[in-house]
Amino acid sequence: MTDWLFLAEVCLAGIGAGALYALTGVAFVLIYKATRVVNLAIGEILMLGGYAFLGFAAGWGLPAWAALPLAVLCGGLFGAVVERTLIRPMLGESPISVFMVTVGLGSMLVGAVELGWGADPLRLPEFVPNRPVFIGEAYLAPKVAYGFVAASLVIAAFVLAFRFSRSGVALRATAGDQGAAYSVGIDVPRVFSLAWTAACATAAGAGVLVGSIGGISPTMGVFGLSVLVVVIVGGLDSIMGALVGGLLVGLIEALAGAFLGGEYKLLATFGLLILILMLRPYGLFGTHEIERL
Amino acid sequence: MSECWTRRGLIGLAAATSFALVQGAQAQAQDDIVLGASVPITGVFAFAGVGIHAGIQDYLKIVNDAGGVKGRKIKYVAEDTAYKVDASVAAFNKITSQEKVSLYYGDSTGFSKTINPELERRGTILMAGASFASELNDPKKYPFQFMSGPDYTEMFGILMRYIAKEKPGARIAFVYSDTEFGRDPIEPGTKLAKELGLNVVERIVTPPTSVDVSTEVLKLRRANPDYTIFHGYVLAPIPEFITQAKQMNLRSQFMGTFWSMDNSMVQRMGEAADGFMGVMPYRYYYEKDANAPMLDKIRQMRPEYQSNAYMQGFVTAMLMVEAVKRTLEAGKELNGTNLKASLNTIKDYDTGGIFGVPISIPGNSVPVGRIYRFDAKAKQMVPASDWIRL
Repeated sequence: MTDWLFLAEVCLAGIGAGALYALTGVAFVLIYKATRVVNLAIGEILMLGGYAFLGFAAGWGLPAWAALPLAVLCGGLFGAVVERTLIRPMLGESPISVFMVTVGLGSMLVGAVELGWGADPLRLPEFVPNRPVFIGEAYLAPKVAYGFVAASLVIAAFVLAFRFSRSGVALRATAGDQGAAYSVGIDVPRVFSLAWTAACATAAGAGVLVGSIGGISPTMGVFGLSVLVVVIVGGLDSIMGALVGGLLVGLIEALAGAFLGGEYKLLATFGLLILILMLRPYGLFGTHEIERL
Repeated sequence: MSECWTRRGLIGLAAATSFALVQGAQAQAQDDIVLGASVPITGVFAFAGVGIHAGIQDYLKIVNDAGGVKGRKIKYVAEDTAYKVDASVAAFNKITSQEKVSLYYGDSTGFSKTINPELERRGTILMAGASFASELNDPKKYPFQFMSGPDYTEMFGILMRYIAKEKPGARIAFVYSDTEFGRDPIEPGTKLAKELGLNVVERIVTPPTSVDVSTEVLKLRRANPDYTIFHGYVLAPIPEFITQAKQMNLRSQFMGTFWSMDNSMVQRMGEAADGFMGVMPYRYYYEKDANAPMLDKIRQMRPEYQSNAYMQGFVTAMLMVEAVKRTLEAGKELNGTNLKASLNTIKDYDTGGIFGVPISIPGNSVPVGRIYRFDAKAKQMVPASDWIRL
């Protein structure tokens, strides 16, 4: 009886953690979908969001409800500036060059944060309600529960925006065929800019959630790398894929951690990655690109 | 003609002077004793590296201001490594090729192990560092190295001796990171627990990149230990672990080892910090009631709080200098063998109160420590036991 309860709790914990993966995954997907660039600096932008929140909440003494949107805004603004100054001049260059720019950007962000805040790990001010959440008899850590709710809302908003809003449709059109999008009058550079802004804002928000659970440090960007696995499993250009991939990886990690031991978590995740890549090289929901000669 | 002679003379004079100057500088440099260091000023271990760097410099300043060792100054040459073994080795090669190095500070277990054959080949350097790895505590395998405190297994030993005294037969759990640092004391610690009559009910390992620890906390609740010992972390994920465990009404006493025991780090745990315990070989910066002249001196030099990493750097430099002093006083050459032999003659040595009791270094470690507990009201770690010697 208790074992079923334990299993339920482990699954809940896994799904909760998976939602955070999914949310960060969305940031990868947005940029890749619009620009075909894998932005490796997402992890560091996530870190920047955490530090921005700390600056507003602890430095300026703002309440959490004000600091959180400001941190997200900062992320978005940062994304827009980076796109305009670093990425747009690279338009037309090979994807590898742009990819390397994002790698460099990540290192620069780590350095900048170390200069500004120092290298010590820090804790964010507590802003999530601290009362444990029980679903039936099963315990769920409050931060994970609220993180899950926030992530679901954001992802749902993105899915709706893609379907119904003009910008969303423009982004889908650009993803489908850049040339065709141009020819029907879509401002493709603006779409790029929009994708970067939205992705970096999402990453910054995810950074606040991740930071509230695990604390923040200049090296927390590695979280972004573990999310790369999620989006490859789900498909690099699919929001749905990020969601399913995130939950799947979260669940598998939790089950492996609970029943095999913590040292099997990464083994299970990367085992899954290899399996998926063998069966569906473009990810679970990714677009299967067919090149006709 | 005479003008020409004068010009030549001037050139000659200038050349002679500069030659003499260079010679003088070389003589000066040859006289200095060099302490080289691979220090992680950036990267994941930077919080400690910055403290270590300051601690070493401060102690050497005290020594040099007092005239050095037998009139010879100690020169500190450090390079940043970002806590990467390859960068550490590069720093070692660079510093040892430019200076005649007698003492060296290394930044990680990985570096200490990697550089060991080179230390043995050279035979000229005594090395210590930030690692308290149990493996390094073997004078046969690591003849030119030491650590200025108990190794990780000895830290577990101190904690478990305390537990066995407080609650014989207690149920304990280990929570550790899946890194070389984290795994180090787990096997020997489990064996030692058995010898002390303690019951290890769960061993939980967390991957180094994990953020959420909910699953691990669920496992901990199932095991329901009286004491939980964290090892291989600095801060995260300890606070979230304790917070969730307390929400589940788990009544376990949480403990840590040296690198998670810094007062400012424990303060950052917030509410979770209350009652957090752990093992420390050194006194804290703010302990004023103790008879510790060296702490007074540190507080004079630096009025703001200094971390336990600072103390570690400070006391490591102190023990190294003591080894140099004893070697020179015996009229022996400064090389690895003599320095290590001098270090091992240290017996009931007073560190000015940084270690709470007089220490001896019979092998590669200083197996002394004390249990501290975080007092939420005072916002400080306060002593919870006497000094424990193994």
